Amino acid sequence: MKNTNMNRRTFLKVTTVAGGGLLVGCSFSSPKLLSTPNDVKEDLGMWVRIGKDDKITLILPTSEMGQQAHTGQAMILAEELEADWNSIRVVTAPVNPEYLNPMKVPPFDIQSTGGSDSISGFWDKLRQVGAGTRQMLTAAAAQEWGVPASECKAESGRVRHSGSGRSLSYGQLASAAARLSPPDDPVLKSPQQFRLIGKSIPKLHTPARINGTAQYGIDVRRPGMLFATVSQSPVFGGKVKSYDETAAKAVRGVEAVVPIPNGVAVVADSTWHAKQGLEALKPQFEGGESVGLDSTKVTARLRAALDEMGKAEVTAEKVLDVEYEMPYLHHAAMEPMNCTAYVTTDSCEVWVPHQVQGFCMDAAKEVTGFSEEQIRIHTMMIGGSFGRKQTKEYVEQALIISKFIQKPVQVIWSREEDTQHGTYRPVSMSRFQVGLGGDGLPVQWERQVAQPSFAAEFIPLLGWIGFDPMTIPASVHDYVFPDHFYKVEGVNMTHSPVELGVPVGAWRAPPNSINVFYTESVMDELAKLAGQEPLEYRLKFLGESPRHKAVLEQAARQAGWGNPLPEGRGRGIGINDWFPLDVDEAKTVVAQVAEVSVSKRGKLKVERVDCVVDCGLAVNPDSVRAQMEGSIIMGMSATMFEQVTLEDGRVVQSNFDDYRIARMRDIPEINVSIVKSDSAPTGTGEPGTSPIVPAITNAIFAATGKRIRRLPIGRQKLV
Amino acid sequence: MTTLKINGKQYTLNLEPDTPLLWALRDTVNLTGTKYGCGIQQCGACTVLIGKRPVRSCGITVGEVAGKDITTIEGLSPESRHPVQKAWIAEQVPQCGYCQSGQIMAAVSLLERKPNPTDKEIDRGMLNLCRCGTYTRVRKAIHRAAEMMKEVS
Repeated sequence: MKNTNMNRRTFLKVTTVAGGGLLVGCSFSSPKLLSTPNDVKEDLGMWVRIGKDDKITLILPTSEMGQQAHTGQAMILAEELEADWNSIRVVTAPVNPEYLNPMKVPPFDIQSTGGSDSISGFWDKLRQVGAGTRQMLTAAAAQEWGVPASECKAESGRVRHSGSGRSLSYGQLASAAARLSPPDDPVLKSPQQFRLIGKSIPKLHTPARINGTAQYGIDVRRPGMLFATVSQSPVFGGKVKSYDETAAKAVRGVEAVVPIPNGVAVVADSTWHAKQGLEALKPQFEGGESVGLDSTKVTARLRAALDEMGKAEVTAEKVLDVEYEMPYLHHAAMEPMNCTAYVTTDSCEVWVPHQVQGFCMDAAKEVTGFSEEQIRIHTMMIGGSFGRKQTKEYVEQALIISKFIQKPVQVIWSREEDTQHGTYRPVSMSRFQVGLGGDGLPVQWERQVAQPSFAAEFIPLLGWIGFDPMTIPASVHDYVFPDHFYKVEGVNMTHSPVELGVPVGAWRAPPNSINVFYTESVMDELAKLAGQEPLEYRLKFLGESPRHKAVLEQAARQAGWGNPLPEGRGRGIGINDWFPLDVDEAKTVVAQVAEVSVSKRGKLKVERVDCVVDCGLAVNPDSVRAQMEGSIIMGMSATMFEQVTLEDGRVVQSNFDDYRIARMRDIPEINVSIVKSDSAPTGTGEPGTSPIVPAITNAIFAATGKRIRRLPIGRQKLV
Repeated sequence: MTTLKINGKQYTLNLEPDTPLLWALRDTVNLTGTKYGCGIQQCGACTVLIGKRPVRSCGITVGEVAGKDITTIEGLSPESRHPVQKAWIAEQVPQCGYCQSGQIMAAVSLLERKPNPTDKEIDRGMLNLCRCGTYTRVRKAIHRAAEMMKEVS
């Protein structure tokens, strides 16, 4: 799904800003994959603006949602630019083909942030833009002084002439540099020359995030803006049956009641009045795709699908025959879904926390009928997403309402609406039948998995033909895809997409979020069946995967694997890579060891987690560490507490009181190590989320002999 | 009409007394640093101080806090130099940052009550939710802030 072939060359485009200064943009050449019918647009594809005041603005191509992509990308660009880090400010790019991530290949070639490739995807391009700009500034200085460019050196926002000691700032050079032709093939720094890359530089947005000034989607304020909140059919796909518009409009501050797809919105002069208006409106709904569905039926449907695929004949001396089950999960980002829009008769602006700028543009075009030139999408800072803020519906709602009332409007979903209208991590059920030979290694590996099709959400064709490629990565399989890092013989995997009418989507690290629990649990079960030590057993499958072997062994060493523990304590291990179908050098490898305690009364605590990550060159090691810490906590939270259940066709949970997530008191000691590497950077936003899940359940097994095959652990008896 | 004293400033607002403080702050006074997360006093993203007490502003009305000293994240210190904010920077706590206004206000209040909190006291005092999972750093930053505040006093 990703293209790591970066042979395309970058050429820079420059223009001057009114009043002097330098604008640098770039485009790909040969082949010109990103050409547009309107060539002028490319001039908008800008990356660097240098003002006469020496302030440097970097226009960054991805959404910022806490993964610190902005800081990492700015470091890469500023490194090659030889900019003074303190003069850097950053903004998120508008919608333009220029900002397509080179790793997003068809059919995923849309301007977006996701897949943990903000750093890896833009690594080459940002370096080239930075280096090319630096060369132009250097050449401008050389020209000004009448000296060879080779005698001039760019450093910390200035160009200096070695012979005379003269120097000029980037701001002073910007206008002259803008008149030069950009280099075809910018000369990049060698890693030994890096001053920023590889250092734990404080994140660019931290100051704004600790004093209330960071501007999230929910913080957008426009002149004359109204507030709206929505009620959508609690049964998925249902329609509005009735509501009491008069009662809603009698509420103070309520200005309008606006129909939206699958629901209705109340518009008022404040969020509070909109909420009160919605309460008075009492909308009733009917119909829907999930009518009558409940969690018991979901389980039955999955089991029926497994049964239809049928059990295999496994003839071996020792056979493992087990079933595993995972629940729907919600993203539960702290910032609920929201979008601000202003549609006039001939223009449209959207301010939205969103991962997919391309979808926002599509939504705006669909609702307004305008051309792209009439539409501006402003990507706001995202207050958590984890894969949720990728859909169009909340953007459409704001557009529809603004078009209706002809004023700017901010739509905010209540937490209840957010919880009950998610794009949930699919439920899943899987059967494993594995026969072991005399040496304890598998001779036959049969696996069936039944779950709603994740891929069909994006590519309906895959739903029609009943093929869900997302069931495959991170599992031991026999499809025509790159292999799993565990080399296993005699594999036969089948899958069955089960259509349940409940929206599903990407939940941090799909498909690992499901398959790593399965694979690493089964590995542990097989080790037990073979009478072998779980770590040693895994290593037997890693002969052809040296990076994985090294990471796994390092995590075990760091955790004191094998050292005796008191009664009621146990250690478990898990490993995965990201993205599982990439070529090996483009992958991130993460292994985690969990140490848990289970009290005599069965109370579980994750005491300590050791994590080792090999992500190539860590551009900002502290960002990598933070991603691992956060991923571990999110994965642990899902393992222990989280599930979305259904009743009467609707989601039962509605807020943080019944969708329990990890709190301070649940948190283990976490130790993260980053493997030293000079390879190109790989992604870290997601791959820390999945290994912790089986690491915890394997640790419970080590501590108690109780094997967890159904998540969440919840109130399951451990002793 | 309700008069609120927020960050040392008086605001006379045309609001019904049963308006939750959260929405008065965000939509009327335009202090958007205080965040909406759940509306049912579960997540703590909307935590502000009433006097020195941490209060979830979604669960208290403007009528109840009229005339009292309300401090929001914007009013914590003029240049983000409160020891808790400095500690938050030193530990690079925020990921997405959305919950951090509430985390910081809760931590300020915890340190008022427990100038040298143990891990257990932090567990009990910090009930704010963070989906990014910054808890380990929140804990470290609270310990660091406690040290910094000792040095000052």
